[in-house]
Amino acid sequence: MIAYAPYLILLLPLFSAAAIRFFLHPFPRISVSLSTLACLGSFLGALTLLLLGTPEGGMSAPPLPWVEIGTWKAGFGLLGDPLARMMAVVVSGIALLVHIYSIGYLAHDSSRSRFFAELSLFVFSMLGIVYADNLVTMFIFWELVGLSSYLLIGFWMDRPAAGAAANKAFLVNRIGDFGFILGILGTWSLFGTFQFSDLTSRVASSSGGWVVTAVGLALFCGCLGKSAQFPLHVWLPDSMEGPTPVSSLLHAATMVVAGVYMLIRVLPVLALSQVTMTTIAWIGGLMTLLPALIACQQDDIKRILAYSTLSEIAYMVMAVGLGVPGAAMYHLTTHAFFKCLLFLAAGSAIHGCHDEQDIWKMGGLGKRMPFTALVTILGTIALCGIPPVSGFWSKDEIFTATAHHPGLAAVSMAAGFFTSFFMLRMILVAFGGEPRSEGARHAHEGTLSMIAPMFVLAVFSVLGGLLPVDSFLRGAKEEHHASWTLWISLIVALAGFVPAYHFYRHAIREPLSLNILRRKFYVDEFYQNALVASQDGLGRLADAFEGWVVRGFVVRGSGVMARAAGQGLRLVQCGQVQAYAAVFILGVLLLMGWILMSGGVK
Amino acid sequence: MIFSEITLGHYLALSSLLFVIGLAGVILRRSLLIIMMSLELLLNAANLALVAVGRFQGIPDAQVAVFFVITVAAAEVALGLAILVAIFRIKKTTAADQLAGLRF
Repeated sequence: MIAYAPYLILLLPLFSAAAIRFFLHPFPRISVSLSTLACLGSFLGALTLLLLGTPEGGMSAPPLPWVEIGTWKAGFGLLGDPLARMMAVVVSGIALLVHIYSIGYLAHDSSRSRFFAELSLFVFSMLGIVYADNLVTMFIFWELVGLSSYLLIGFWMDRPAAGAAANKAFLVNRIGDFGFILGILGTWSLFGTFQFSDLTSRVASSSGGWVVTAVGLALFCGCLGKSAQFPLHVWLPDSMEGPTPVSSLLHAATMVVAGVYMLIRVLPVLALSQVTMTTIAWIGGLMTLLPALIACQQDDIKRILAYSTLSEIAYMVMAVGLGVPGAAMYHLTTHAFFKCLLFLAAGSAIHGCHDEQDIWKMGGLGKRMPFTALVTILGTIALCGIPPVSGFWSKDEIFTATAHHPGLAAVSMAAGFFTSFFMLRMILVAFGGEPRSEGARHAHEGTLSMIAPMFVLAVFSVLGGLLPVDSFLRGAKEEHHASWTLWISLIVALAGFVPAYHFYRHAIREPLSLNILRRKFYVDEFYQNALVASQDGLGRLADAFEGWVVRGFVVRGSGVMARAAGQGLRLVQCGQVQAYAAVFILGVLLLMGWILMSGGVK
Repeated sequence: MIFSEITLGHYLALSSLLFVIGLAGVILRRSLLIIMMSLELLLNAANLALVAVGRFQGIPDAQVAVFFVITVAAAEVALGLAILVAIFRIKKTTAADQLAGLRF
């Protein structure tokens, strides 16, 4: 019976979403409770599975018959290996905390029911990705996650910016998903299977070659979209238009790391090609640095955190590219805790300042919201990888992996420097100094349902390094040996605090002005212009085609031709009946002659 | 002797001769009346060929067809003459080359 438990864990949130959508929509209180309880059920189920399972033993649910075409069959199976069990606990646990937080955050929103239905839908989809045992199933849930992300970003549908951001997220993800589909089909044609469990054995008998590289890169393309890596990263900062709990759950802790999770799942395929792995590692490496630089000049507290998320996910991608999925998964878990915490704290600050997101209009929140300030500082310490809190341990594993890649090590450590810089900048500006707006002057802490999740997350962020993630993933914790990277990364991260303290200690407005960072390296502008240019070109081409070919040649041309033919043929009309008869007879004679010449009528 | 026996060939030769005479009349003569007479000649040339072939090949259907042709020809003459009279009343002529109103 326990074998079917993943199905129950998976379907509880779906049931909640459907029930709210169809029946409980008018009753926000019941909807909120149902959604939260469903999430609690999933979390408890996932936790039970995690604790019951042995590290090496799978607890996969028996596949249900799904698609049968002739002799080809695809089952709808759920995978219960340690990776999935671990990930499911992280996802449902964070989701549960965000549910509780949202009860307070959206207490006065009239469309709470819709929000919680969409949140439940997201939990269902995300758990589907986690438990999926083959690429096709994963892709379906992958798309469902994209849908719920779209719905939740655009939750405040009366704001034009929210709608635009939702569209942008959806469309940019489409590009990545297209690559993902190609990758899935390529995997099928190369190895003849969609099953993750079969990949390892099938891959062993495969030869390399450029096709394998192409398939690996196509699969990585899916990760680029969902995990918002360069060049498809542009949607994530914009997605901050959604409610803060959504940013916290989807766009920081869980959904955006789905790409990393997927990479770990298809790692056997990726590892076949050194080119693929190197590409992944370098895109990851560069993406640690670029968003960290951009974040140094952002004013919106959520955007700062969004860029930091991009950077942290890039660490995980880089770890996968370096062939240490365990480190990636470890960082994924700790990051989920502290980034979720930072977002919830940011949400608390925004909520407290009456929907003010600009850090330059906050200020002085440390005195008015001491708890939020405290957890933000804890989250920052974790994010910057300062020992002994969680981020230090997971980042250290990744840095250790870069020990033999000086280039990657340099880039990712530089990113660490800027991470410390912009995080301290955010704290000093938002929480230090004097209030700089009316909202900030009357800031206050949120309700218990907002504080409690932050407290739990803060505990996990601090103690997360002690979590035996490794033992769940690999059986036994590997011998940890400090390398030179440990010390350098630590010194660099601490060094980042110094200039931030220097510049922003008493700043009341931005003392530095670096336009290229403020404008995010002009990537959005580039896309905008490239789109405008290409669409204008396409428009002109279509206009020319319409003008010359359709209107000129087809429409007008046919008219002119008919008229000219008429003009020519009317000359033949002489009005003499006998002439017509003569021509007619000539025609008959010619026809007869032709028939006789060609052998007569058969 | 070629003339000792009348064969299908003779009939068809006669039919062809009549047809050509009729054709020449239709194309060359000016008077509409003569043209209509020539048309009758064309029809009867075809009738002769049909009857002859039907007789020699033992196909009664051909002779049945001839009856239809005769009937239709009678109707055609009635109509044609009526039109001819009407045209003459309006145009005061029955010469085909003068009745060239339908021209460019």
